[in-house]
Amino acid sequence: MKKKLAASMITILFISFLMIGLSEFPPFGQPGDVIYNEVTQRYLEKSIEETGAVNAVAGMILDYRAFDTFIESSVIFTGFVLVLMLLKGKGVEIK
Amino acid sequence: MTTPIIRQIVKWILPYLMLFGFYIMFFGHLSPGGGFSGGSVLGACLILDQYVHGNQSIGSRLTGELLVKISLIALMLYGTLKGQSFLSGILHQSGLPVPLGTPGNILSSGLILPLNILVGIIVGAAFYLMALLFEEGRI
Repeated sequence: MKKKLAASMITILFISFLMIGLSEFPPFGQPGDVIYNEVTQRYLEKSIEETGAVNAVAGMILDYRAFDTFIESSVIFTGFVLVLMLLKGKGVEIK
Repeated sequence: MTTPIIRQIVKWILPYLMLFGFYIMFFGHLSPGGGFSGGSVLGACLILDQYVHGNQSIGSRLTGELLVKISLIALMLYGTLKGQSFLSGILHQSGLPVPLGTPGNILSSGLILPLNILVGIIVGAAFYLMALLFEEGRI
C-alpha cells in the first residue's frame, strides 16, 4: 500500500513537472514562431553544396544533425542490451 | 514453417531481398532510404532465413555475444568518426580532410556513406537479436 502510494505520488509529481514545462511552449501554428527561421531555407538551398548528398534528408540526419542519429543508435543498442540482460534465463550463459 | 513450398520460395527470393537491403543502405545519400530502413530490411531477411532454414541459416553462427560486440564496435566507430568532425568546428573545417566528391556518385558526400553502413549494422543486429530471443536455446 505504501509502495503504491509512493509510486502514484512520484508519477503525479513527474507529470505535473512535465506539464509546467509544456505550458511555457509558444502557441502552435503562428507565423511568428521561433521554429520558422532561416534553417529550412538554408538546408534546402545549400545542402548539396555543403554535405555533397543529393538526398537532402540524408544530408540533414547524417551531416548537420549526425549527433542526433548517434544518440538514436545508442538508444537502440542500450535497449537490446537491457532486453538481453532482463530476459536471459537464470543460470544460462550467453554462448 | 518448414514446408517444401516455403523453403523453395525463400531460397529463390532471399538473395534479392538482401541485395535490396544493401542497396537501400549504400545508396542512402542518393535516393530515399538510409541506414535505418536498410538495416531493418537486412534484419528481416536474417529473421526469415532463421525461421525457415534453422541451423543452416546465414545468421546461425551469430550468437548473442557476437551481435552485441559487432554493434558495440559499429557504435564506437560512429562516435569516433562523427565526434572528431563534430568537435572540430562547423562544417568539418578543421577536422580530418574528408573529400566531398561529386554529388551523385556513390563515393561522395564525405562521411555519410560509412555512417549509413554503421547505422544499418546496428539496426540489423538489434532486429535479429530481438527475434532470436523468442527462439529457444539460441541465446
